[in-house]
Amino acid sequence: MTFVSLTELPILSLILWLPLAGTLLCLLFRHSNFACRWLALLTTGAVLVLAICLFVGLPTAPGWLIREDYAWIPTFGIRYSLALDGISLLLVSLTAVLQVAAVLISWKQKEHPALFYALVLLLETGIIGVFLATDLILFYLFWELMLIPMLFLIGVWGHGNRVYAALKFFFFTLAGSLCMLLAIITLYLIHGEQSGIYSFALESLMQTQLSPGIEMLLYGGFLLAFVVKVPLFPFHTWLPDAHTEAPAAGSVDLAGLLLKTGIYGLIRFAFPLFPHAAQQSLPLLAVLALIGIFYAAWIAYVQTDVKRVVAYSSVAHMGFVILGLAAWNQLAWEGALLLMVNHGVTTGGLFILIAMLQDRTGSRDLRALGGMWKTLPFFSAFFLLFCLASLGLPGLSNFAGEILVLLGAFGRWPVFAALAAAGVIFSAAYMLRVVQGVLWGPLGQLCKIGDKDCLHEDLDRREWLLLIPLALLVVWLGIYPTTILEPLRGPISLLLQGGGLP
Amino acid sequence: MSLLELQALLPQIILALGATAILMLGAWYPSRKWILAGVGIALVAALCAGFVSPAVAEVAGLYSTGRYACFFVIVWSLLGAFSLLLSLRYAEIHDLPGSEYSSLVLFAACGMGLLSAATSLIGLFLGLEAFTLVFYVLIAFKREDPRGAEAGLKYLVMGAVATGFLAFGISLIYAASGSFHLPEAFVGLQQTAGGMRTIGLVGWALILVAIGFKVSLAPFHLWTPDVYQGAPAPVTALLATGSKGAVFAALVPLFTALGPLKADLEVILWVLAALSMLVGTLAALPQRNLKRMLAYSSVVHMGYLLTGLLVGGRVGNRALLFYLLAYSIATLGAFGVLSSFSRVDDEPQEYTDFRGLGYLHPRRSSVLAACLLSLAGIPPLVGFFAKFGIFSAALKGGYPGLALIGILTALASLYYYLSPIVVLFMQQRDARQLRRGGRHEYIVLACCFAAILLLGIYPAPLLDLLGSLLP
Repeated sequence: MTFVSLTELPILSLILWLPLAGTLLCLLFRHSNFACRWLALLTTGAVLVLAICLFVGLPTAPGWLIREDYAWIPTFGIRYSLALDGISLLLVSLTAVLQVAAVLISWKQKEHPALFYALVLLLETGIIGVFLATDLILFYLFWELMLIPMLFLIGVWGHGNRVYAALKFFFFTLAGSLCMLLAIITLYLIHGEQSGIYSFALESLMQTQLSPGIEMLLYGGFLLAFVVKVPLFPFHTWLPDAHTEAPAAGSVDLAGLLLKTGIYGLIRFAFPLFPHAAQQSLPLLAVLALIGIFYAAWIAYVQTDVKRVVAYSSVAHMGFVILGLAAWNQLAWEGALLLMVNHGVTTGGLFILIAMLQDRTGSRDLRALGGMWKTLPFFSAFFLLFCLASLGLPGLSNFAGEILVLLGAFGRWPVFAALAAAGVIFSAAYMLRVVQGVLWGPLGQLCKIGDKDCLHEDLDRREWLLLIPLALLVVWLGIYPTTILEPLRGPISLLLQGGGLP
Repeated sequence: MSLLELQALLPQIILALGATAILMLGAWYPSRKWILAGVGIALVAALCAGFVSPAVAEVAGLYSTGRYACFFVIVWSLLGAFSLLLSLRYAEIHDLPGSEYSSLVLFAACGMGLLSAATSLIGLFLGLEAFTLVFYVLIAFKREDPRGAEAGLKYLVMGAVATGFLAFGISLIYAASGSFHLPEAFVGLQQTAGGMRTIGLVGWALILVAIGFKVSLAPFHLWTPDVYQGAPAPVTALLATGSKGAVFAALVPLFTALGPLKADLEVILWVLAALSMLVGTLAALPQRNLKRMLAYSSVVHMGYLLTGLLVGGRVGNRALLFYLLAYSIATLGAFGVLSSFSRVDDEPQEYTDFRGLGYLHPRRSSVLAACLLSLAGIPPLVGFFAKFGIFSAALKGGYPGLALIGILTALASLYYYLSPIVVLFMQQRDARQLRRGGRHEYIVLACCFAAILLLGIYPAPLLDLLGSLLP
C-alpha cells in the first residue's frame, strides 16, 4: 500500500473505530465462544495490519503525518480532530501488537467470553483514541473511555481481591482526570476570552497567554491526571493492586499501554500547553522519578508474588522514563520514548509468561515455585529472555532505552543520573531473584519429582505463536533500536524546540 | 377564554380531557388496557404540541404557548407515555386499577405541561398543584403496602406545607408589586422601594422554600428517600424526573424575568446549591438500597441544576436544560429497570437483591449500568456533556467555588453509582428465579439506552435545539 492510497482513506478513523465495531459484533454473537474469540483476533489483527502499513508506508518526517478534522459539537467548539505523528504512530503500533497478544493469551477464556473480548476491544479503541486525539475534549473522552473496560476487566475476571483493586484503580485515575477536566475547561474559557474563539483544539489553546500563577495551577491539574496514570511515586499505590489482581490480558494492557498514555499525555499536552510551568516542575519530577526507581526496586525485592514484582518493576521503569523527560534534551527524550516502547514489549511478555505459569502450576508464589527449567524448558527459556531484557541486559531491548536516558540525564542532572545508574543494579537484583525463584533451584512445593501433576505441558502452538514475535521484537529493539528511533527524532526535536506541536 | 386560546392550549386540554374520558369509561369497563389508551392520548398530545402551531402567544395571561412551552409539553407528555408503558406489567402483577392509574398519570403530565408554560405566578401555582395533588394519590397507589401509605402521607404533609409557603410567598409578591404576571411582577418589585421591596423579597424567599421542598433541595430534601422507596417504581420514575424537571423548566423563564433582582437572591441560591451537592453526596454514600441511593443522588443533581440556574443567561440556561434532559432520561431508565425487575411479591431495592443479576439479565443490567454511569457523568454517555456544560457554565459565570464542589461531588458520586454495578456484575449470583420483564418495558428501556448513548456521542443537535428555545 502506498502512501498516497493511505492518506485518501480516513485511515485514522478506520484504525480507531475498527475495534469498536469488533466490540459490537462480539456482543451480537455473544452466545458463541468460538465466534467471539475469532472476531476479537481478526479485529485486533486487522488493526495490526493497518498499523504496520502506516509504519512502513509513512515517511519519517517531523510534524503531523496524517490529520482528520470534522466539526462535532459546534456549540462548545469541540471538534473531532485526529492527528498522527511519529510518536503516536509508534504507540498505536505498540497498542496493535499488544492487543493481539492480549487476545491470544485469553484464548481459553471460559467465563463470559463475549463480554471479555468486547471489553478488550473497547479498551483498544480508547487507547488508540488517546494516542490520536488532538482536541482536548475528544482526548478526555477517550481517556475516560479506557477506564470503564479496565474496571470491568479487573473487577469481573480478576483474581483474589479484585473489586477492591478495580475500584482503587478507577478512583485514583478518575480523581486525576477530573482535575484535568477542570483545568481544560478553565484554559478553554481563558483562551476564549482572549481570542474570542472558543475552541478545544490543542493548537489554538497553545496560543493562550497565561499568568505564571494560573499556568502553574492548570499545569498542576494536567500533571496530576498524567502522573497518576504513569504512575510516578507517590501516586503509584493503585498499580501493584491493579496489576496483580487483573487477568492476564488486563495486566498486559495496563502495563504495556495504559501507563504509556500517561507519558504520552505529558509530552503531547501538559508540556506544550504550559511550557514555563513545565520547566519549573522538572526538578521535582526528576526527584520523584529517582525516588520511584529506588523505592519500587526496594519493594519489588521483598515481594513473593511474581506478578507483584513485575508490577513494581513497572514503577521503576516509569521512573527512568520520567527522569529522561525531566532531562529535557533530545537524547534523553529519545531514550525515554524508546524505553517506554521496550517496557511495553518486555513487561507485556512477562505478564503473558506469568499467566502461562499460573495456568500450569496454579501459583505465582516465589516460595512455592521453582525448578521450572527442568519441567518446562522452552517456557523457561522465554521467561529468562524476558527477565533479562527487563533488567536491562545489553543487547536486549531495555538496555538501549536506559542507556540513552542515562546519557541524556548526565547532561542535565549528573548526580541524579549517577544515582539512577545504580538503580539499574537494583533492577537486576529483583529480576534475578524472580528468575532464581521460578526457574532454578529444586522443584517447588507444588511439584515433587514423580508427581503426576507435575508433568505440565510445555508451550503449545498458540503460545509459540504468541511468544516468538515478542521475543524477536525484544532482540531486534535491543540490537537495532534505530527502527523506532528514526521516526521519533523529528517529532521529539519539534516538541523540545517549540515546546510545541509538530 | 376565546376559542383561539383554547386551540393554543390544545395539548394540555387533550391530556386533561383524555384523562377524564379514561376515568369515566374505566368505571364501566374496568381493564388494564386503559393504560395503553393513556399512552396513545399522551402521544397525541405530544404530536399536537409539536405540529399544531398555537394561535395566540399567551393564554389568559397565565400560560405561554411559545416554542419553549411547547417543547416541554412534548417532553412531559412523552415522559407520561413512557411511565405508563413501564406501568403496564407492574399494574398487572400488583393488581392496580388501570383506568384510574392511567388517568392520574395523564393529569400529572397535564399539570407539568401547564407548570412549564406558566407566565404568571397564578399559573405557576395552578400547574404545580395540579400534579402535586395527583402524586398524593399515585404514591400511595398500592393501598395494602404500608410503605406506600407512609410515603403518601409524608409527601402529603410536606407538600401541604410547601403549598402554604408558595401561596403566602405569591401573595406577598403580589402585595409588593401589584401584579401576578411575570415580567410586571418583578418590574414592579424593582420600582418599589423601602418596606414593600423587603416584603417582595421575603415573598421570594418563601417561594424558594416551597420550590426547595418540591425539587428536594437540601435542607428540604428529607422526604425524598422515604417517598422514593415507598412509591411504586414507575411512579417514582415520574416523580423523580417530571415533577422536579417541570419546576426547573418553569424556573428558567422566572429567573430570566427576575433581572437585576437576582443579585439579592444569589447568596441563598449559592448556599442551597452547595448544600444540596454536599449533603446529597454524604447521604448517598452509605446507602445500600438502590431507590434510596437514587433519591439522595437526585438531591445532588438538583444542586447541579441550581448551579445552572444561578449562572443563568443563555449559557447557563442551556446547560441547565441539557442537564435536566440527561438526568431525566437516565433516571427514567434506572427506575424502568427497577420496575421491570419487580415481581408479584417483591420489588428489588436492596443491593443484595441484585447480586450477580448482570449475567442473568445482561441487557437490562447493562441499561441500568449505563444509566448509573451516565448519572455519574462518565463519557461517552450523555451525562458527561451535561456535567461538562454545567461546570463550564459555572466557571464562565464566575462561580468557581460551585464548579469545584461539583467536581468533587462528581468524583464521590462514582462510589455510590459504582456500588450497584459492582454488585450486578462482580459478585456471585445466588440461585434464584428469573425476573421476567414485559415487552413494553423493554421498549422504554431501549429508548432510554439509545438516547443516553446517542446524545452522549452526538449532543450537537439537542444543544442547538435548546439554544434556539431560549430567549
